[in-house]
Amino acid sequence: MAKPESFFELKPESNKRKAQQTRIFDISDEKALLSASAAVLQDLGFQVEESSVGLGVLRAAKERSARQVGQEILQGFVFVLGLFGQKAIILPVDLHQRIGAVLVTRQAENDASRFIVRILFYRTVWKGDGNTGDQYITPGEQRMEVIYDERIYQQFFAKLSKGLFLEAHQI
Amino acid sequence: MKTRHIAVLVFGLCVFLPACVGPQKPPDNLLSLTDAQMKIRSFQTRTFDTIDSNKVLRAVSAALQDLGFIIERANAPMGLVTAGQFAGQGFAGFVELTVIVRNTGKQQTEVRVNALFNTKPIEDPKIYQNFFTSVERSLFISQTQAN
Repeated sequence: MAKPESFFELKPESNKRKAQQTRIFDISDEKALLSASAAVLQDLGFQVEESSVGLGVLRAAKERSARQVGQEILQGFVFVLGLFGQKAIILPVDLHQRIGAVLVTRQAENDASRFIVRILFYRTVWKGDGNTGDQYITPGEQRMEVIYDERIYQQFFAKLSKGLFLEAHQI
Repeated sequence: MKTRHIAVLVFGLCVFLPACVGPQKPPDNLLSLTDAQMKIRSFQTRTFDTIDSNKVLRAVSAALQDLGFIIERANAPMGLVTAGQFAGQGFAGFVELTVIVRNTGKQQTEVRVNALFNTKPIEDPKIYQNFFTSVERSLFISQTQAN
């Protein structure tokens, strides 16, 4: 796992992720780009938490249920299995999540008529309570992860292009 | 009987004496720097030969994004960016940093960063070196392509 020495080193996958999270728009008005981005995030149910026009930064978040059918079926299955051993085993399942987004705009190099948008989605998930059979598991165990699912980014940029009436170009 | 009296007295002292002590004063050196802090300050600072501090600040935020950091706060007039990242074993730890960019002198911009890992200051100069390498790369790209 990552050691402190590697905190500020580029990973082999950094470039791929950059491409996934970045699009270029033929627009020279950074403010319009930022407010269109904020509008898309709002449409997606996000609350804007931090913004800086001078730096082209937006940060937004939303909270949602994290329940998944698959996990609940597994929970039921394990519970039934546990009954054979005369134990009430309850696996904790994901209950709640907070989804965050950080968006940064930047003028394209050598071209004042284009702006680059890069967005990163991430989430924190909290688990509910459970039981090992002998011991109660308290709720609230949390897990944090960055979202690398290509479709999420494609959906966001599709909405942003629509909002701007502009085509999004890959880097 | 006598020992019992003494025991009661000692017990009483234990209970009431601490109440006579006033609130403790904070130590005088609370805000002064330790030697280690003085030493890492130089690793945490880098000067760039440009007057355009906004460009440097944007290069910093681009570099942070390249490194997978989540930008938490940004304030352009102040030249401030704070960011964080889940890291370490099972992503259970958290790296956070504060960057201040400001003009120094006529042709220079200074970048000062301090980073924490699980709220403990990072003191390894190599880590700061890596950070500035990323910023330089990001700044260099925008410089060469702008010219």
